Amino acid sequence: MGGYGDIKLLREDGLRLDGRKIDEMRPIEIEAGILPGADGSAWVKHGLNIAVAAVYGPMEAHPRKIQRQDRCVIDVRYNMAPFSTSERIRPGYNRRSREISKVTAEALESVVICERYPRSKIRVEIEILSAEAGTRCAGITAAAVALADAGIPMRDLLVGVASGKVEGIVVLDLDKAEDNYGQADLPVGILPNTGEIAFLQMDGDLSPDEFNLAMEYNFKGAAEIHEIMVDALRRRYEGGEN
Amino acid sequence: MVELVPTLLRQELARLAEVGARLDGREQWEARKIVLETDCLYNGEGSAKVTWGDTIIYAGVKFEMRTPWPDRPNEGSLMCSAELRPIAGRKYEPGPPSPESIELGRVVDRGIRESGCIDMENLCIVPGEKVWGVMIDIHVLSDQGNMFDACALAAIAALRTAIVPAERFDVGEDYTLQVKSTPIMASFTRVGGRYVFDPSAEEELGGDERIHITLGDEGHLHSLQKGLKGVFTPEEFAEIFDVAQSRCVDLRKLVANQEGN
Repeated sequence: MGGYGDIKLLREDGLRLDGRKIDEMRPIEIEAGILPGADGSAWVKHGLNIAVAAVYGPMEAHPRKIQRQDRCVIDVRYNMAPFSTSERIRPGYNRRSREISKVTAEALESVVICERYPRSKIRVEIEILSAEAGTRCAGITAAAVALADAGIPMRDLLVGVASGKVEGIVVLDLDKAEDNYGQADLPVGILPNTGEIAFLQMDGDLSPDEFNLAMEYNFKGAAEIHEIMVDALRRRYEGGEN
Repeated sequence: MVELVPTLLRQELARLAEVGARLDGREQWEARKIVLETDCLYNGEGSAKVTWGDTIIYAGVKFEMRTPWPDRPNEGSLMCSAELRPIAGRKYEPGPPSPESIELGRVVDRGIRESGCIDMENLCIVPGEKVWGVMIDIHVLSDQGNMFDACALAAIAALRTAIVPAERFDVGEDYTLQVKSTPIMASFTRVGGRYVFDPSAEEELGGDERIHITLGDEGHLHSLQKGLKGVFTPEEFAEIFDVAQSRCVDLRKLVANQEGN
């Protein structure tokens, strides 16, 4: 299996290179309300990824042609800082960030009660300050917490999480080496309370059984992340901080 | 929202200036709380975060290997640029770099470059063939006033923590980038008719021109810039120049303390 040269991603004892179990996530920290000028904001540290999200709005949608008479539009920009990766990224939009922005916007439009804000726009800005595989998921999680922080009604708190396959074994939450040399990556956006899925991408090679197992891991991971998200919002709004 | 009533805001700022007061109760030359953190980003070869009042800035240093310019075969290069992403505030729009973000990056760049804190010949790997290009990228997460000083502070603090990634490029062992001094910027904005240090977002909104002064370790000038509409007298400049000297000493201590940890 594998066939990726000498790189071993699983140890003799069955643990992963960084010592995690097969279905164990990297450590996650979340803080809500970190940007004073935004209507809502969040900071997510997932492993060595750092994603910051800000929400501005709802505000008037302009130009008028983007307005929807019966609901708001969600305008998402996912962007990686030039210093977020080992090779510097030239500033400006690229195809990858454009695609991620589009599908993230569509996922968020599926959970926000958009009908509450006809003819409006909600701006969601996602900045990746540090990248170590899984930035789109960290971005989705940050965006969801920022939207909640902005007081925007949603059907659920969308959680970004990914599973994948390394050396023929399905694992939860790929890190950088596993993402680079692994065989599949399945990032999803999960609504933990309803069990629905609002974001789905995949690349690589998974059998139907492996897909089912990867999804099972994703739901398990989403439940764990969801608790941390709720806890961050509690800390912000149940007295104490701020 | 104050944005809608700048005329009223200007009147209020003028009234406060007459009695020597500021909107948030600070003294004329008093800064907001400044917190500097360094080495805070995993992939930056040097990095810093500055929280200056409610303004939040990240700076990261990256190295690239390139061929030197033909007329300077023994010299590497340094470039500092700033991105004012739409996350920085309600008024920021997506799109190509705005004149404001280009000015911001270039003013910070000049202060660092002209101070001579980086010896370009130290960035040479193989004369005429390989040199280091040092890139400082400034990322503004929240603009709530006095972005220029916060960006300059983040940039020099990040640069001073930078490790040259020689191993990754197969040219020897990693080593700490030699940075000989600590150029610091202090900026002043005319608010209610007189200059103040460290304007808040409201003061900038209801204020006029701004002056940016970058000073080196010995108090020498390394970059100056006047931005926005307005004029000033040599006497006014002399006054803020004196203040800049002492503010820069304070800010330089902040960088030194961070490095001492």
